[in-house]
This record gives sequence, structure tokens and C-alpha cells, in this order.
Amino acid sequence: MNEDILCIERFLAGEEEGFEALVRKYQDRVLNIVYSLIGRDRESEDIAQEVFLKVYHHLSSFRQRSQFSTWLYRIVMNTTYDFLRKRRNYTSDEGAIKNSVALLEGPREAVLTKEKAEIIRKALGSIPLKFRAAVVLKDIEGLSYIDISKVLRCSIGTVESKIYRARQLLKTQLLKSEGGAI
Amino acid sequence: MIKCAKVKRLLSRYLDKEADKADTELVESHLDNCLLCKQELSALSQVKGIIIRKQRKSLPQDYLVCRLREEIAGEKHTQGSFSWLTGMGNLAHRLIPVPVAAIALSIAFLLITSNQPVSKYSLEEHLLSGTQTTTETALALILGEQS
Repeated sequence: MNEDILCIERFLAGEEEGFEALVRKYQDRVLNIVYSLIGRDRESEDIAQEVFLKVYHHLSSFRQRSQFSTWLYRIVMNTTYDFLRKRRNYTSDEGAIKNSVALLEGPREAVLTKEKAEIIRKALGSIPLKFRAAVVLKDIEGLSYIDISKVLRCSIGTVESKIYRARQLLKTQLLKSEGGAI
Repeated sequence: MIKCAKVKRLLSRYLDKEADKADTELVESHLDNCLLCKQELSALSQVKGIIIRKQRKSLPQDYLVCRLREEIAGEKHTQGSFSWLTGMGNLAHRLIPVPVAAIALSIAFLLITSNQPVSKYSLEEHLLSGTQTTTETALALILGEQS
């Protein structure tokens, strides 16, 4: 039997340890998806906590028609979308990109890894959420197109075009950084 | 040009090794002869590489578990308080008919008694007067009917 299913059954039988094992297994994945989508440290942790609280309260309604991870990532997406909707952060962050270009001004050798990470974060933040979500699930989490289509509830063709569009936009943004990132 | 547009749409899928055999062959045969699409694939591949190599965040193993334990314990405590309040609420709800019935009965009693003529001549006075007392007279006096 699948390891996740065993944990779920332990939890449903009254062992909190089953739930905690799921948290330990998925916490970094959830955190990295959320962080890649919103680009804020502290709030990413809060959203990750909220995601697992929802899992805790709704695990009994998980029908095992899909993999647990697919169900979990759907909760991650919905919780993150809700957060961004409340923050009205759906628009692209052009200012952030300008800053990222500024970061790369100067000798290329002086550009630190941290700064590059910042450029990538801002470049990701600059593309529309619908494209960002698809490319994050693909390149950060390594999901297949079919799994992404299940998480985002869309066709594989839509996933394909979203990922392509996301990479094109990222390419444009990263090229703006005068060859620093690409 | 039409072929380029078609191939470009397949490039991400090809890059992610998600294209089927026919599409893979189509892309590869086109890339052999098209420098622009080859450059596009190279750029997309670099973007993918940058995102994949992006620094990952990591939490201490029990960090989130501890936060969740606290949060869940807090929720249970709050729920406990609420269930006590709810219990009190239910009890109050169940007991509401008692005072309502008492008030209704009191009002009815007051209405009935206020309509009754007050007997100025009680049974006791009648008995003391030494006049003959029939059952009918006694009842009339008890019920407040003047004789």
C-alpha cells in the first residue's frame, strides 16, 4: 500500500502521528511551491501552515480517487490564490523586474547567488499567476503534464501552452537582466 | 513559417519529454533545418534550467509540525469553550417554555380574576349572621356570586 495512504489511515484511526508524517514529508514541497508563487518568506510559511490545517480538517473527506499529492497541491493552489486575491496581487510586478535589472548592473563576477535568486524570484513574480502556477508545478515540483492538469483542473493542451507561455515570458524578463541570468 | 509556429508550440512539451513519438520526430527533423527554432529551444532550455536550479527552501523537520500542534490545540480549546457555551445555550433554549408558560398562566389568572365580581358578603359573614345556609347559597358565596 502507498506510504501516504498508510499515513492517512493511521490518522483516521486516531493517530495524529499519521498526519504529522505527511506534514514532514510534504512541508518543503508545499513551502517551495507557495514561495515560488508569492515570493514572500514569512507569508509562505503561514500559507503552508494553513494548507496543512485544511488537510487536517478535511482528510476524512479525501476519497482517494486521486493521489494524495494531487489533492494536497490543489489545496496549496487554492489557498495561495485566496491569499493573493485578498492581497490583490494578481497584476504583474514591473517595478520588481526593473529592480532585478538594477541588481545585475556592474561586473558580472560581483553578482552573488543570492542576488540571482532574487532576480529569478522577481522574474517569476512578474508573469501572470496562471502561467506561473503551471511552470512552478513543472520545474519546481517536477510534476508531469497530466498531474498538473489534475491539480489545475484543465486539459493537458492548456498545461502545455501555459508552460510554454510562462517560459517565453521568463526568457524575456531574464534577458532584460543583461545576460546576468540567461 | 507555418511549420515553425507548429513546432514552437511543441517545444516545451518536447523539452519536458512529454511529446509523443510522432511529435518528437516532427520537432527533431525541423530542428535539423531551422536555426531559429533551435535557438528558441536553447533559450527555453536555459530558462527551465534556471528555474530548476533555483534555490530551494527547507524547514527544520518538526518546525511546521510544532506550529500545527499548537494551532490545533488552540482550536480544540476554543471548540471546548464554544461547546460549553453552546450547551448553556441549548439548556436555556429548552427552559424558555417554562417562564413563558408561567407568565401566560399569570396573565390568564389575572384576567379571569379581574372579571370576577368581588363578593362583599363572605360565607363566613353569612354563617355568623345566623340565616339559614343552603348548599346553593354556600357555593354562590364561595364562587363570589352575590346572593
